[in-house]
Amino acid sequence: MGKRSIVVLSSSDDDAGDCNDNNDDEFASKSSFSYLNNSKSRTASVPRTKPKGSKKVRISSSRSHPGKSVNPFDEMKLFCEDFGESFTGFKVSAGNRRDSKELWLDKYTPSSLMELCVHKKKVEEVKAWFEERIPTRKDEHCNHVLLITGQSGVGKSATVHAIASHLGATLCEWNTPTPTIWQEHMHTTIAGLRYISKLEEFENFVERIRKYGLIPSSSTREQQKPFIILIDDLPAINGKVSYGRLQRCLHLLVQSVRIPTVILITDYSREDTADYTSRCWDNLQSFLQSAGACKVAFNPITVNSIAKTLSKICRGEKLRITADQIDVIAKASGGDIRHAITSLQYFSLKSGSTGSGSDKIDYLDDGYSLPFGRDETLSLFHALGKFLHNKRDTENLTTSGSVYLKDDFARLPMKMDTPERVLGQAHGQARPIVDFLQENILDFVHEEAMDDAWVATSYLSDADTLLASLTGVQYKNYAIENIIQSTAASVAVRGVMFSNRHPLSSRWHAIRRPMVWQVEQSLWRNKKEILGQRTAAYNSVNLSDPSVIATEWNPVLKWLGSRAFKDSERHLGSVSGEMIHSEGYDGKEMDDDDSDEIEDW
Amino acid sequence: MLWVDKYRPKTLDKVLVHEDVAQNLKKLVTEQDCPHLLFYGPPGSGKKTLIMALLRQMFGASAEKVKVENKNWKVDAGSRTIELELTTLSSTHHVELNPSDAGFQDRYIVQEIIKEMAKNRPIDTKGKKGFKVLVLNEVDKLSREAQHSLRRTMEKYSASCRLILCCDSSSKVTEAVRSRCLNIRVNAPKGDEIVKVLEFIGKKEGLQLPSGFAARIAEKSNRSLRRAILSFETCRVQQYPFTNNQVIPSMDWEEYVFEIASDIMKEQSPKRLFQVRGKLYELLVNCIPPEIILKRLLYELLKKLDFELKHEVCHWAAYYEHRMRLGQKAIFHIEAFVAKFMSIYKGFLIATFG
Repeated sequence: MGKRSIVVLSSSDDDAGDCNDNNDDEFASKSSFSYLNNSKSRTASVPRTKPKGSKKVRISSSRSHPGKSVNPFDEMKLFCEDFGESFTGFKVSAGNRRDSKELWLDKYTPSSLMELCVHKKKVEEVKAWFEERIPTRKDEHCNHVLLITGQSGVGKSATVHAIASHLGATLCEWNTPTPTIWQEHMHTTIAGLRYISKLEEFENFVERIRKYGLIPSSSTREQQKPFIILIDDLPAINGKVSYGRLQRCLHLLVQSVRIPTVILITDYSREDTADYTSRCWDNLQSFLQSAGACKVAFNPITVNSIAKTLSKICRGEKLRITADQIDVIAKASGGDIRHAITSLQYFSLKSGSTGSGSDKIDYLDDGYSLPFGRDETLSLFHALGKFLHNKRDTENLTTSGSVYLKDDFARLPMKMDTPERVLGQAHGQARPIVDFLQENILDFVHEEAMDDAWVATSYLSDADTLLASLTGVQYKNYAIENIIQSTAASVAVRGVMFSNRHPLSSRWHAIRRPMVWQVEQSLWRNKKEILGQRTAAYNSVNLSDPSVIATEWNPVLKWLGSRAFKDSERHLGSVSGEMIHSEGYDGKEMDDDDSDEIEDW
Repeated sequence: MLWVDKYRPKTLDKVLVHEDVAQNLKKLVTEQDCPHLLFYGPPGSGKKTLIMALLRQMFGASAEKVKVENKNWKVDAGSRTIELELTTLSSTHHVELNPSDAGFQDRYIVQEIIKEMAKNRPIDTKGKKGFKVLVLNEVDKLSREAQHSLRRTMEKYSASCRLILCCDSSSKVTEAVRSRCLNIRVNAPKGDEIVKVLEFIGKKEGLQLPSGFAARIAEKSNRSLRRAILSFETCRVQQYPFTNNQVIPSMDWEEYVFEIASDIMKEQSPKRLFQVRGKLYELLVNCIPPEIILKRLLYELLKKLDFELKHEVCHWAAYYEHRMRLGQKAIFHIEAFVAKFMSIYKGFLIATFG
């Protein structure tokens, strides 16, 4: 064991001929990294062209000490330092505008409350919470747990750090320990050490806090200096059992802890609600709240404050980056300040020496080929709202369109990204999207516009036909399936948007859940019932088709029901009578409880 | 017992409607060997009756002693086992089943279950090797894969087993299966044939039939004998002695379709379309097949329609019926048809009345 995660920085040597005048830049943008786990492949690819010999293939080897836990973040930082160093290595000739070897992320970590780009109110809220608790530690009734949630990179830990330093408190952090690698585990089991799961470690930690408080705090020097416990990352859980353990453990913590404790929970992608673990986190949050923790939810950072921070960094680094470019970076980051800063650093590497602003902007505008930036995600309902409301500009400004269309087919430009892009962001599958559109489109069509309604339904019928071509294919070809899926979704969405020429004025609408789903279910149930009772109730010795039973036998038997068939009537009355009246879905009821509401987007 | 069952002819000799077919079948099975058979024809034309009479002809009265079995099957399909529940009707000589009850898993039914049944070869009393008959209903509803494996099964076990297939439309049965069978078309009975049957039943029941009453039932029955007899019996329960102007009750779902059609004629708007959708769902939930709904709806709409629009409306009905076959969810296509109709009709109204 020993050698793990060797970082090799190797260069691509395929354009040896291309790098001529500005070798450095060429190189900086083309270098690639690779993690190699195999300790034998130390002989990294040796580049053929070595500009100025300043590049070094740095190998950070064997940093794992089995006894001491190494924070993965530290490791990452080390790696990043390597990265930064080697880059600055190249950049020596290009200019001295970067004098530090640090990542900007670390360099510009906010140290005071003023520097935070989190919304002031939230910061105040958290600060007030701390101030309430820090001086009076004797207060028994007050709960001592604060829960901060928010997506990654919104400055949750930074806020806590900054406030702690502002209040002059010592921060004790719990970080999830490094994962144990298999080889390591093998090694330690030989040595007789038991494997301790991360959850167990966390449990032990909580137990310790509960029993002894913080030992160093009581024993060491100044009693005045308050302590804050920060639990940055709860151990990963999978399955019900570990979830239960974590829950119990946190419950104990919330109930018994006497020191202000902050728990940070990162909201992972909201869209996959089907995922069990993400649901767990949601449950956990509400559980903590009910146990008495105070919850503060951090929103994604606004584009404006990101842009402000970025321009501050630019000033600090003396970069010449236009406000537009900063804006693009800020927008692309999706409210993640960490990401924005890293992107900025990366971007400044690229544009550094060429400094040509104009062509850069062009290709930044083209939403697809941003070299950085997070993928933006939308919820399904958000996307559906966009499609259904179908907002368009009031007049056609782009006169440059070379294709001339008949008035019937021409539409005003859309006030949104291309539908396919929105679909991609919403992670929607074609089938549910088509179903949702079918269910809801009629609400959005103008009362008089029957033709529009027809065009919409016709496109949806096309989409359904496309989707159906997938079923019954014995050997799945996923590439084809993919194409069909996205085509069907595209046809449905564009069809709906195209057809709705006279959309109703924007108002509040609830998007209903497709009724087809429920209809299908009860159809299936009824069919099964018919099949099940076929031989018992219909008194005939043949197996009839369910459709024949439904269309011919059932109505007649209902007619005859009371008089002629005293014996078989008992079964039948229940089958046929109920079906129409009570078994049929109750549409109204479903609307109420299952509608996901959207506002006018 | 319903009259439909009570007066079902038991033997090929007693058949009233398709006498010629019955006689030919009789000749066919008196010569020992019998090919695979494929009966096809519209519902209510007497396919089942012919098949049962044929079985009796082949095996004697013991073919009528059937028992119903609800069997669970475990099919080993590669990596997993599939459990299926299937109802069969069987006598010592034949087994009848509806493979399409298994839905999209029908392939396994055909492959495994039929295979297994076909393997168990009965030996008759004289020690002569006999054959077993498998009656498969609704072959046209089988998926393509299932039909392919059906073809293989037919070839492989043709020595020990005869298949009698039964379906509404032979065009949905693959060519390969059709060519391996003797195809027997069972036409829908003509009006006077239905009248004949109804009068026969009336006589047996000792009923007084006013003249023309049977003809009215026959006319309303859509040339389905089963339906004619069922509504005949309904009339009997409803009112006896019969009067000539007696209302012949129609099926409740037909009345519902009629209601939908008049809804459509009254108002053409997206809102109305939405209401119609709700009513269509109601029909679908009650297992009324979508193609029957569409057909009936078209029929009701055409009755009220101006002459010049009929062609176009029919065209679109056919278009969306085809779409429905290709597609997955019938409601999409029925709705599209309704929308198209509304749009055409509205245009027509505006053009005519301004």
